[in-house]
Amino acid sequence: MRQQSSLGSIALAACLLTASAAAQPFDESKYPDWSGQWRRTGGIQWDPTKRLGRAQEAPLTPEYQAVFEASLADQAAGGQGNDPTYKCIPAGMPRIMTMVFPMEIVITPKTTYILSDYSTPRRVYTDGRDWPREFEPTFLGYSIGKWIDDDRDGRYDALEIETRGMKGPRSFEASGIPLHKDNQTVVKERFISDGANRDLLLNEITTIDNALTRPWTVTKKYRRDHNPIWHQNDCSEDNHHVSIGNENYFLSADGHLMPAKKDQPPPDLRYFKQSRK
Amino acid sequence: MRSLIGAIALAGMMLTASDARAFDETKYPDWSGQWRRPPGVGNQWDTSSPPRKAQAPLTAEYRAIYEANLADQAAGGQGTDPTYICIPDGMPRAMNVIFPMEIIIQPHVTHMLIEYLSMVRRIFTDGRDWPENTEPSFMGYSIGKWIDTGGRGRFDVLEVETRNLKGPRSFDASGLPLHVDNQTIVKERIYLDNADPNILRDEVTTIDNALTRPWTVIKNYHRVRKPVWVEAICAEGNQHVRIGKENYMLSADGYLMPAKKGQAPPDLRYFEQARK
Repeated sequence: MRQQSSLGSIALAACLLTASAAAQPFDESKYPDWSGQWRRTGGIQWDPTKRLGRAQEAPLTPEYQAVFEASLADQAAGGQGNDPTYKCIPAGMPRIMTMVFPMEIVITPKTTYILSDYSTPRRVYTDGRDWPREFEPTFLGYSIGKWIDDDRDGRYDALEIETRGMKGPRSFEASGIPLHKDNQTVVKERFISDGANRDLLLNEITTIDNALTRPWTVTKKYRRDHNPIWHQNDCSEDNHHVSIGNENYFLSADGHLMPAKKDQPPPDLRYFKQSRK
Repeated sequence: MRSLIGAIALAGMMLTASDARAFDETKYPDWSGQWRRPPGVGNQWDTSSPPRKAQAPLTAEYRAIYEANLADQAAGGQGTDPTYICIPDGMPRAMNVIFPMEIIIQPHVTHMLIEYLSMVRRIFTDGRDWPENTEPSFMGYSIGKWIDTGGRGRFDVLEVETRNLKGPRSFDASGLPLHVDNQTIVKERIYLDNADPNILRDEVTTIDNALTRPWTVIKNYHRVRKPVWVEAICAEGNQHVRIGKENYMLSADGYLMPAKKGQAPPDLRYFEQARK
């Protein structure tokens, strides 16, 4: 009798556990707590340990170093050089990870979402999928991630991501450090919480690109705000750059077109002359 | 008896341990996948009416604004549709879901991600009150509440209220206007169709001073279970050029051209000054 009651109670316990397993709750405790709002700790340069521009010492090939120098010269003259974002196209990968605007990370079992203003959502697939055979290139690319339990305590510590399938134009930062126009960029990331400070998130980013002589690794740091206020930043709302053909002009405060560079000719208005005939 | 109590306690402990910070997805509806406008449905606000034929309950003042807008659009202008310069649709227009939408449900917040720059909605379901002194935005501030209408221990409806919006916004590309005071309140009731779990419905009621009464429309979205996500970047190929208060177009060969018949070219006074 005693044995029967034991068997019954074990069966009951098993039923309860089975019901729980079938319910498939998402056990958040297996994943790191990366909730809240993450803000960059440095400026908007690519390698946060160095100043923007030449001081970055980007390992560019001679061809792309020349492209970068031409970009710097154009920017010095009032142009935008290789920085395409003045037109309000997104920064794309890897530049978005500078996080000019704050970041939110939403972890679900199959996908981790990296959200930031003026970017479409970044989806990092962690469901074990392989690279799709065909996909349309995007500024953010296609990201596959893997959760890592470094210390084998049953809880993931790090998220490793590989991103491919990007399109351009993209640059590393506002100075116009270029990526190769073949868009064969591969970006590898390792997100991990700082060991001493849970409110500091590290992202070790390695960029492999044909504009570079070797993989270029930088570490970004983001600081957490637990009670965030989310602002919406809309580049197009008050963009004073005007692109006409291959030229960039400016809008004056009083709403007139003005040159962005010294002695820049005005736009060709041939279609207005035709329409007046 | 002791062993029964022990076993129940053991099971309880195991459940408790596994439930530490566990998010019980089974309490919430399955709204995963990609949600798209139904095939053949345009991006007009009231999908029960053809584009530009909506019976919008506009005030006389805003009816006149709408008519002037239609005349401007007929002449090649953009009227009161502000999105040609690539600003977000804002609420409630974002729920036209011109590009596909994903919904991520978490206990404290439900995210609605629409494939367009800056079109992320955060719907807070943590019981918070309206914040004081927050900056208005195109998508507004949304507070939601999950409802278990059947009393089955599972939520099936998300009720949302959105306030604190900024403009310019319109209901759709026809330029159906919202009031410039931006006091819009949007109330939504979102649920799966009873007969088809691959159809999501959103009853959207807009309360706005451009309207004579609250205006309710029902949006339907169809689910794609294995989605492909494609970026929609408005600014990437935008042929509209706004200079001052005028909208021009870019020709295929990269020249500025008029958007309207007889439109004057832009004032180039600063180029003349630069040449002096």
